Amino acid sequence: MRRRVPRAACWLLALAAGAPAQNFTQRGFLETDFTGYPQTTPDDSGQAIGEALFRYEAFYKLNSDWQFAAGIDARADTHQQVDRAWELSWDDRQRRRPSFEVRQLNATYSHDKVTLVLGKQFIRWGKADILNPTDRFAPRDYLDVVDNDFLAITAARLTYGGQSNTIDVVWAPLFTPSRIPLLNQRWSNVPEGIALDELAPSYPGGSQFGARFNHIGSLAEYSLSFYDGHNNLPLFNFAEPQPPVVDVARYYPQMRMYGGAAAIPLKAITVKTEAAYFTSTTRQEDEYALYVVQAERQAGEWFFIGGYAGQVVTLHRSIFDFAPDRGLTSAFLAHAGYTIDTNRSIDFETAVRQNGQGLWAKLEYSQAFGDHWRATASFTVIRGNASDFLGQYWRNSHAMLALRYSF
Amino acid sequence: MSNSMNHAARLLFLALALLPLAAAEDARQIVAESQRRGRAASERYEGSLEVISAKNKVSKKRWETVRLGSYGDSKTIIRFTEPAEVKGVALLVVNHPDRSSDQWMWTPAIGRDRRIAPQDRSTRFFGTDFSFEDLEERDVDQYDFKLEGEETIGGALCWRIESTPKRSKSSQYTSSRVWIRKDNYVPVQYENYVKDKLVRRLVESDIQKIQGIWTARLLEMTDLRRNSRTLLKLEDVRYNVPLKEDDFTVQALRRPM
Repeated sequence: MRRRVPRAACWLLALAAGAPAQNFTQRGFLETDFTGYPQTTPDDSGQAIGEALFRYEAFYKLNSDWQFAAGIDARADTHQQVDRAWELSWDDRQRRRPSFEVRQLNATYSHDKVTLVLGKQFIRWGKADILNPTDRFAPRDYLDVVDNDFLAITAARLTYGGQSNTIDVVWAPLFTPSRIPLLNQRWSNVPEGIALDELAPSYPGGSQFGARFNHIGSLAEYSLSFYDGHNNLPLFNFAEPQPPVVDVARYYPQMRMYGGAAAIPLKAITVKTEAAYFTSTTRQEDEYALYVVQAERQAGEWFFIGGYAGQVVTLHRSIFDFAPDRGLTSAFLAHAGYTIDTNRSIDFETAVRQNGQGLWAKLEYSQAFGDHWRATASFTVIRGNASDFLGQYWRNSHAMLALRYSF
Repeated sequence: MSNSMNHAARLLFLALALLPLAAAEDARQIVAESQRRGRAASERYEGSLEVISAKNKVSKKRWETVRLGSYGDSKTIIRFTEPAEVKGVALLVVNHPDRSSDQWMWTPAIGRDRRIAPQDRSTRFFGTDFSFEDLEERDVDQYDFKLEGEETIGGALCWRIESTPKRSKSSQYTSSRVWIRKDNYVPVQYENYVKDKLVRRLVESDIQKIQGIWTARLLEMTDLRRNSRTLLKLEDVRYNVPLKEDDFTVQALRRPM
């Protein structure tokens, strides 16, 4: 199911073209990446991947009440991770990344204490930095599981309130799934000797709804949130019509979430915590709680974030799922960065499973050249046991070099 | 004779005892008057920044600043417009008359706002030599002042005043010195100390009268620990522009313009 881009997109771009400079702003970049994998996997012999991404975003302020935002992504790659069809995608439901995609297209009305955003937009709720169980309107592109990116959703978001207390109500009429690894590539990790044949997925009808209350106080911030809709991560149905060929079909379980998050600045550190409890009427879906507790601190040119993510399963029912959010739990998580100077920085992230069965670590060096260019080199190491969510990707350690021109 | 001598001595003693108090009051009044003369309902300007490292590497940035209200009860949004890769990064500063400001930073690339914790305010603001705390407004009621004397800065006679933060004010600086011109009450130099060590110096120059308000259009902040400096030129400065209170919230920070 592929939706065409609404005419509003064309109207907005035309509007932007004739907008006065002070009410119009734009930004974007062209980035080319090269990723090298030292090891092959049973289902993917490719060891070198090249990708290119062009992103353009424009913003127009019509008056003090109305603003418009439009953005587009254009992609190409060497590894069939990007769709070869030259179509503009709106709903992000393709298995591959679309070659052309509406990144965002929305109108914002803000007056007094009311803000209404209509259209394709990004919605982030969580307060933690490493894992966000309450971020239910934030599906991701997990094609390369550990280097994931957020996807926008089609929604209406109404926010009421001032600086201290806000109520956020979100209604999403169109379900946007997270993009999962391609079955014939290294991140799907299909066991040797099994051929998977992917059937058409079953997308839920109806709409997704959520509400959030957020309080900003002088001593702390906290939020309470609720979500009723579907999980953007799938469960799988399997059938074996002709062994060893296995038919597999994705479906998305119903989900209800009760969550909360808090950020408390203390004398030496800031403590952030986020937790959510998930129930489901889908008989194959688990009921569980996810939580994360982290401490962060900036000191000079350094910043440190360290914490623990946990999971409590109250009702175990699922057999086949893809759940990277849960896969990152029962783990110690850390993120540190150092700014060498105005142009250079180093960043380090890691997740270590509590039982020692899985490890993911990424070291990144980034340097800007002049006003527009930036080069980034990163090294990702994955180690562990094949039965562990992180450990199963032990053949996927990789190095990446990216060159970006921003404008 | 003896009685009148005692009386005179008592008066002299009283005068000497009250002298520091009077000086403190004078210093406070000078700072208050300086802030009063700079008051405006709102302000907007475009800032052009040059960050010059110890090795003389220069990086350029631009931001746009809007402020609603004045000292002690103001709100400011600073939004980067250049270079391209940081375009849209924004900082909201909500100043309070009785305590340190609240600050949030919005990073569009990750779609997240982050509260800048008080203990993190001594860090540099996005690669400039201004710390997050330096972007706060220094309300007169949050400091104790002492008039230290007079000095000539840039050809203008100035009062030299020491300020120390009160208990309610959390600050990276143990004390600061400010030089305020006697002719127009414009502050032209600040020195900030950690214990007894000078760590940052801000020099304000190119002072022009804009809409009746004396305004320094060139600010040079030097980080003496890093030996780097940032030049901030204020362009297109306008006061009393129409701004809405609701445009100065965390919600509003997320809007691109």
